[in-house]
Amino acid sequence: MGSRGWKAGALLAVLAGAVALGAHGGRCRGAGAGARLVATGSSTLAPLMAEIGKRFEAHHPGVRVDVQAGGSSRGVQDVLAGMAGLGLVSRPLLGAEAAQLRAFALARDGIALIAHATNPLPGLSTPQVRAIFRGQLTRWEQLGGRPGPITVVSKAAGRGTLLVFLEHFGLQAAEIRAQALVGDNEHGVKTVAANPGAIGYVSIGTAAADVRRGVPIKLLALDGVVPSAEQIAAGRYPLVRPLLLVTRGEPGGLVRELLDFARAEGVDDLVRTQGFVPLER
Amino acid sequence: MLEQRELAGVGEARRLVLPARAGARGRARAREGAAGLGAWAAALAVAGLLGWLVGEIAAGGAPALSWSLLAEAPADAGRAGGILPILVSTLLLVGVCLSVALPLGLGAAVWLAELAAAGGRRGRWVRASLDALAGVPSIVMGLFGSALFCRTLGLGYSILAGGLTLACMALPIAVRAAEQGLREAAGELRRAAAALGLGRAATLLHVLLPAAAPALLVGVVLGIGRAAAETAALLFTSGYVDRMPGSLLDSGRSLSIHIYDLAMHVPGGNHRAYASALVLLAVLLCLNALAGWMADRWLARAHARC
Repeated sequence: MGSRGWKAGALLAVLAGAVALGAHGGRCRGAGAGARLVATGSSTLAPLMAEIGKRFEAHHPGVRVDVQAGGSSRGVQDVLAGMAGLGLVSRPLLGAEAAQLRAFALARDGIALIAHATNPLPGLSTPQVRAIFRGQLTRWEQLGGRPGPITVVSKAAGRGTLLVFLEHFGLQAAEIRAQALVGDNEHGVKTVAANPGAIGYVSIGTAAADVRRGVPIKLLALDGVVPSAEQIAAGRYPLVRPLLLVTRGEPGGLVRELLDFARAEGVDDLVRTQGFVPLER
Repeated sequence: MLEQRELAGVGEARRLVLPARAGARGRARAREGAAGLGAWAAALAVAGLLGWLVGEIAAGGAPALSWSLLAEAPADAGRAGGILPILVSTLLLVGVCLSVALPLGLGAAVWLAELAAAGGRRGRWVRASLDALAGVPSIVMGLFGSALFCRTLGLGYSILAGGLTLACMALPIAVRAAEQGLREAAGELRRAAAALGLGRAATLLHVLLPAAAPALLVGVVLGIGRAAAETAALLFTSGYVDRMPGSLLDSGRSLSIHIYDLAMHVPGGNHRAYASALVLLAVLLCLNALAGWMADRWLARAHARC
């Protein structure tokens, strides 16, 4: 074997060693003093929870809070499977879930109907929204707006926002006649911003932050109430969803500590920067 | 020039054209010219597309680009601070992926090209399964990796689990590229080596592998590209944690997941997403250049020794 063979062999050995060392190091630490808390679930909630986790770590040296995103339903599954101590859920718990899990409110989030910034309509009523999303009203002039077709932007199946929207307007998922399906909040905002005839619905925090940054969308009033954090806090805006932390059984130990920390006033500033509404206490 | 190429390269076609009338030949040449123009325009369009893409990302990301972006940890869900831990996690993920996929892929390629009976059933079966593997959507790979590496093998959300999942995805590309290279290098070289009395292993090590190095390199580069650009498969395996990883068993966020999160879940994260995309592009180009440089060096050594 030539020197090249040796070198290739040495390189492989070093890489294998590094992998083994890394794995070993991780094991040691996991078993040692440092405790690790895992929270998984809603991608709407994950950025907020990650920031809360960082602040919690600063107060509790040696503790690590690992936040994983992937959707509300995944949070429920991971907690039930024991993969995570805390689940992040941005919708009400469904029947079977509510029986198996304990839920704690972390914050509130409103859902706003949004349209392109050039849309002259100030707001819509509940029956109008229902008719639009059922495909019974298909043109803006039928609502007294600027002539043109309505492009309905709805959320993809399984999204927390969709469930809350359907529930509030008394709609079935199969009734929705949408021209575009979107996943995440920013996806919805980008789709509506690019289409002057579009109507969609997204998290108020996301929409308001994007309006401040000059994204060409507007928040539509619902039954005369302009969607805003203040109106939610005052209990006037109706289309609201809870942001939940869920556990399997009664939480204890560090999970309990993190839960209390996340629901205390000390993190209200983080809740607001992420565009949500803090709890009423 | 055109005439020469026609004479030299398209002898068959010329023999067919000759008996025909001169007009037909002129028409054929015009058609050739049009085809050439079309190909040229297509090449220009492809280059233009790349230019546009890079320009768009550079324009969106430049305001957020700074040294502190590369040197700090993220803060405020990625809107402030930098991306250093994410950069480190990404490189670790690619490293794990390559250190598993390269030896395995090279071994499989050598078996396919050298040891498996030509046209044999076992070789066909391995190739078919590799092609099937290459066609598996990345989100399915992510679920598979999550079930096998994270749960069954107990690695949890970790860079190791993510890297191994990426290796599964890069493997088919690496194997097929390496096999192709070995086959193309074969033929004459193999016969010459046999004539010189070299054994099978010596031929492979000293003749075929150096000759196949450029193709192996292509495989590595494609593998790196697939690994570093992956989002869906990593969301379920290496995870979302943007802290500096302490070991390969820590969860680590890759650049692509960071970009996805900033663009989709963090209002006001757009500029940072663009800046991160710019960094990801730069990292990919650097890795490719590095791989090219290493292959050149090894090739030069091999030739010098011969």
